[in-house]
Amino acid sequence: MTSYFLRRLLLVIPTFLGITLLVFGITRMTPGGPVEKIISQGQQAMGEGAGGGGSDDRVRGQALSDEQIADLKAQYNFDKPIHIQYGIWLGKLLSGNLGDSYRYQEPVWDLIKDRLTVSTYYGVMTMIITYLVCIPLGVFKALKHKSTFDNMSSVLVFTGFSIPSFVMAIILLFIFAANLEWFPLGGFYGDEYDDMGYWEQILNILYHSVLPLGAYLFGSFAVMTVMMKNSLMDNLASDYVRTAISKGIDFPTAVRKHALRNSLIPIATHFGNNISVFLTGSFLIEKIFDIDGMGLLGYESVLERDYPVVMGILVVSSLLLLIGNILSDVCVAIVDPRIKFD
Amino acid sequence: MKLNPTTLKRLKQFRSIKRGYYSFVLFMICLLLAALAELWINSRAIVVKYEGHYYFPTYGAVIPGTTFGFDYDYETVYRDLQKRMAEQNEDGFVLMPLVPYNALENDFKEDSYPPAAPSLESKHFLGTDKTGRDVLARVVYGFRIAIIFSLILLFFNYAIGMTVGSMMGFFGGKFDIIMQRLIEIWTNVPFLYVIIILVSIFDATFALLITIMVFFGWTGLTFYMRTTVLQEKVKEYALAARVIGAGTFRTIFHHILPNTISLIVTFIPFSVTGGITSLTSLDYLGFGLPPPTPSWGELMSQGMEQLEVASWIIISVVSGMVAILVMITFIGEGIREAFDPKKYTTYE
Repeated sequence: MTSYFLRRLLLVIPTFLGITLLVFGITRMTPGGPVEKIISQGQQAMGEGAGGGGSDDRVRGQALSDEQIADLKAQYNFDKPIHIQYGIWLGKLLSGNLGDSYRYQEPVWDLIKDRLTVSTYYGVMTMIITYLVCIPLGVFKALKHKSTFDNMSSVLVFTGFSIPSFVMAIILLFIFAANLEWFPLGGFYGDEYDDMGYWEQILNILYHSVLPLGAYLFGSFAVMTVMMKNSLMDNLASDYVRTAISKGIDFPTAVRKHALRNSLIPIATHFGNNISVFLTGSFLIEKIFDIDGMGLLGYESVLERDYPVVMGILVVSSLLLLIGNILSDVCVAIVDPRIKFD
Repeated sequence: MKLNPTTLKRLKQFRSIKRGYYSFVLFMICLLLAALAELWINSRAIVVKYEGHYYFPTYGAVIPGTTFGFDYDYETVYRDLQKRMAEQNEDGFVLMPLVPYNALENDFKEDSYPPAAPSLESKHFLGTDKTGRDVLARVVYGFRIAIIFSLILLFFNYAIGMTVGSMMGFFGGKFDIIMQRLIEIWTNVPFLYVIIILVSIFDATFALLITIMVFFGWTGLTFYMRTTVLQEKVKEYALAARVIGAGTFRTIFHHILPNTISLIVTFIPFSVTGGITSLTSLDYLGFGLPPPTPSWGELMSQGMEQLEVASWIIISVVSGMVAILVMITFIGEGIREAFDPKKYTTYE
């Protein structure tokens, strides 16, 4: 078993290299990089009033000499072949340096660190509320299978599931922020945040996060509720529960002591996947509610061709995802001793 | 087409699941309406009777204004023709569709600026957007494009995913391991980043978007296919086929694949909603189909800009999208229940 997980961990390395190499290659091979940005900015500055030459308009006089361009390329390492550039980037990464952002001239890690807090807050809240709602709801639905409550809650849960979270964000924003004005239109906290006391700050953040959390949550109930319900019903139909019942144990005890424990297995195995939720917050929701999280940082960095930040986020998110996959297998092994990996 | 008894039983089972079945019927009506959209939302008339001749402009070539006595060569504006014929008591008639606008034309009023609120009188039943285009027309035509997009995407994703997945399961060994690694890399590449970078270099077209999305989307099905084929290939019928002399290709496609269909079918509705959602979110961000293609995402971003001024835009497009997605999800839920029936023991 240990050797299996060690092998899995070792396999993370080639996969990680593959992912980063692929994205690195794409960012270097496509036009619009930092050097071209500076060149076109120079052109715009020079050709002011000349009808605003397009960035690809190389015929018009260039503000920078060939030498300066070569210097710029050398500064960004763009003059070397791609595999060398990748090697340099990887070497820095191994020494714990993600590089500096082109846009902010700040270390990438500092940028990511700030946003991680925001995304983690939403990730953890979503996770906790999902478990708190789904497990009891699933159990109740399994016990009351085919009842009106079961049907109505299914309709509700699947409706939530079918609406993409960004559309849900738009709906919530439209109803509760724009029209009813119960909640703020966006932001992680309000303008007067810095002047508030500790408890007020917490309340302010909670107040601002009601709508975004709603958008994250509505869609997330379906999968786990149905999983919980089906798994409990499978177990209720199995022989060991029948035996317990026929031996005279009353139904609630049979559920609580026998069926429920086993039906939590799939829920537990799902737990490992949560690790990625911590940071890959939907950038669409963050964009709609104007929250400075990881998703939005990644999106803006791609738009602005801030490649060090793009790569930095990729490193963090892909590592967490890959390790999350392994973790969820570890969870399976811990919870269910019958399962053997080899 | 002859259906085997199991399939018939499943279809009957599906019919008995009310929520799924009625959603299916409703969704089919929506599809039909969208397919025939030209007949009820169009700037072209359905029938024109002019100087004793009948014209049916809906699906044919452009009929220039000169045909109907106007002094211009470009396409007849049938709304004007209708007005003129009514005012001057000309012989004949113009039968306009229910909504006499198409999804692309800008209906500018002389006394006001768009967006215009919904009104029965102007026949903009859901109002107009900020450039004066009819919202209802854009919602319906946008739906049609989204569903076609989604189905094409689904076809390619499934074709590639099923082939690769079943090959992985069938051959196993080195091929399987290498493909598993490759797919793991593939699925972890942030597809949105790539799409944003590519779309900013090339102009986004329908074909380009499909290509990129298939490029990154085909992996979804491979692991299910791999597992099922792994299970199926050791069953007697597959072995028997091999013994009789069926080749690899024949064994996979003629014998094993038909037995995995019941699994595949349950994924289809959710792939359709997935396709619609991806297209809409890309359009919303401005990385989707090029303007002026009618699209839900584009309408949504307009609606968000004008939440207070023109709330009819956001209400119309969001209700349309939610209705369609909920219907498809209910169908999917029904199909899953019908194709994977579990009979539970209950205690009372």
